[in-house]
Amino acid sequence: MLRIITCFKWVIDQADIKTSPGSRELLLDRASYRISDYDRFAIEEAVSLQEQHGGSTAAITVGSPAARKSLKDVLSRGPEKAYFVNDPSFDTLEPSQTASILASAIRSQLEYDLIICGEGSGDLYAQQVGPRLAEALNIPMTTCVSKLTVYGTQIIAERKLDDGIEVVAIPLPALVTVLPEINTPRIPGLKDTLAASKKPVVDIKATDLGQSFEPCLQTITILASSMERNGVKFSADGADIRKFVEVILKTGNIS
Amino acid sequence: MAGVWILADNRDRTLELLNVAAGLAEKLDTKVAAFLWNDSQLAEDYIAHGADEVLILPSLEEDQPLEAYIPTIVEEALRQDPDIFLVAATARGKEMAARIAGRLNTGLCSGCTALQFDETGKKLIMERLVFGGAAVQTVTCLTRPQMATIAPRTFAPAVPLGDRTGQVRELAAGLPGLVRIVDRKPKAKQSGDVSDAKVLICVGRGLEKEEDLALVRELANVLGGELACTRPIAEELHWLPEETYIGLSGQKVKPDIYIGVGISGQIQHVTGIRDARLICAINRDENAAIFEVSDYGIVGDLYSVLPELTREFKRALGAGKE
Ligand SMILES: Cc1cc2nc3c(=O)[nH]c(=O)nc-3n(C[C@H](O)[C@H](O)[C@H](O)COP(=O)(O)OP(=O)(O)OC[C@H]3O[C@@H](n4cnc5c(N)ncnc54)[C@H](O)[C@@H]3O)c2cc1C
Ligand SMILES: Nc1ncnc2c1ncn2[C@@H]1O[C@H](COP(=O)(O)O)[C@@H](O)[C@H]1O
Repeated sequence: MLRIITCFKWVIDQADIKTSPGSRELLLDRASYRISDYDRFAIEEAVSLQEQHGGSTAAITVGSPAARKSLKDVLSRGPEKAYFVNDPSFDTLEPSQTASILASAIRSQLEYDLIICGEGSGDLYAQQVGPRLAEALNIPMTTCVSKLTVYGTQIIAERKLDDGIEVVAIPLPALVTVLPEINTPRIPGLKDTLAASKKPVVDIKATDLGQSFEPCLQTITILASSMERNGVKFSADGADIRKFVEVILKTGNIS
Repeated sequence: MAGVWILADNRDRTLELLNVAAGLAEKLDTKVAAFLWNDSQLAEDYIAHGADEVLILPSLEEDQPLEAYIPTIVEEALRQDPDIFLVAATARGKEMAARIAGRLNTGLCSGCTALQFDETGKKLIMERLVFGGAAVQTVTCLTRPQMATIAPRTFAPAVPLGDRTGQVRELAAGLPGLVRIVDRKPKAKQSGDVSDAKVLICVGRGLEKEEDLALVRELANVLGGELACTRPIAEELHWLPEETYIGLSGQKVKPDIYIGVGISGQIQHVTGIRDARLICAINRDENAAIFEVSDYGIVGDLYSVLPELTREFKRALGAGKE
């Protein structure tokens, strides 16, 4: 029986990020949140492996209590149980802390054969939590997985690297981080959403973990990145296209 | 002990990191050490380009991936206690850096885009992009070594510094790891490289079908440019090779001219063209985000605009030559 854990993050929707006029300050109060795009592939991979091999899939997230909204969403995507590691201080974690918290929660409460993480989180995109979690749990791991097969007590993973594909065999228990091309996440229907509200959620509080998690990285500022450009628009009629060509040739250094 | 360490998959990436490391080491009054494997010939080359010490990693068993070096590197780091450890942000480099940082219990600035010392001259202030590139996060590392991964081509390669001497030291082999390679499929070399093209014509999902790439290719030919694309074109539709997609998780490019065709301009893509000299866009939606980050845009259907644009460029360039 294959026991799978999938790790996901509840992140600000990019589209809602606004800056205050005339400054680089970010206005995030009104932003909505969603399951990080890349984690949807990790969730789908876990659920479809479970469908093939039997066993179980649990989803786990670390966040502030506000991330509770993510649980119904994640459960509607197929996992049968969710673990919610939460504390008001857990919304500004850096990757080493997130990985330690996940490791601590998993060690104390979950049994597993395979842990699946996304390529990177939609907000920080540090691509660290998966590898660090594997190190903290002292299990073998690999990243950039574009195809995953389970054979008994080992997995075969195709990794997409800069110079080609590398196929690796890893004994379980193991951790992988997966790329978007690994699958096409299903879209939950009404039935899935209804089923989700009946699935169990395990609450894990910071105090349950019996240790503190100090940051290794300190954020000094987060400011909007400015990209000021001319912003001149032309229409698609012949005269305008000719003007466009003239400007490009003049300023663009083409000969 | 101390030092600025660098680790990169290949020579090009190593030279870029040597360039950064040399500047940092000078300010700290310490040495630069570079890791090397497979090709000990390069040791002298790295020394000529600024390394004071080259640490040679022993060759691996046939079925061992590069990540099998992690225990050896970590052990050495525990012994030598470097001040700073920079790793090239390639697919492997990112995994190796995160796992090394995990074992050393230290902070890692992923995808660092700029770094400098603070007023104490010891602590690095490092910048990286967050929210898909919409914001810049500035971080410092509270632990040792201060680690960062640096995306390919973020910095210029080091130049040879003439007569330099350095040490070459071989490290002891570690035990084989649990991850075993069972097959390798090297990628065929692609012609044309978007990373140093002067002119890039970049296509997005506005294109309806693969055959229509011909329209875009024609414009590229007239301008002497290369074809590039957004992530979905490469990763989902597979119309163009993966190394031609631009953005946060793809290539970062610095062409003289970028022309985006049928691209919405979402931040994860736009992040990759931040350093283009001139950004142009063609999109039928006048409110498309790409126009907000463009110098010049054409609002219109690419299927009517492209042929006309190609014709006009051809005419103008032809006229200029006569
Ligand atoms: C963590 C993360 C990392 C990512 N990394 C990258 C990355 O590195 N690179 C990348 O590109 N993406 C990346 N993405 C994806 C990115 O968010 C966008 O989904 C993607 O860039 C959109 O591609 P597009 O502009 O081609 O398609 P769309 O967003 O679908 O835009 C198509 C555009 O074409 C226009 N159009 C349609 N028909 C026509 C026509 N006939 N004539 C003219 N215009 C037309 C439409 O108005 C629209 O604006 C990433 C996403 C995440 C979450
Ligand atoms: N707060 C979190 N809770 C659970 N999993 C997380 C969390 N943050 C990151 N992850 C997992 O780690 C992956 C990489 O995240 P990151 O290192 O932030 O880019 C994500 O795709 C998730 O699978």
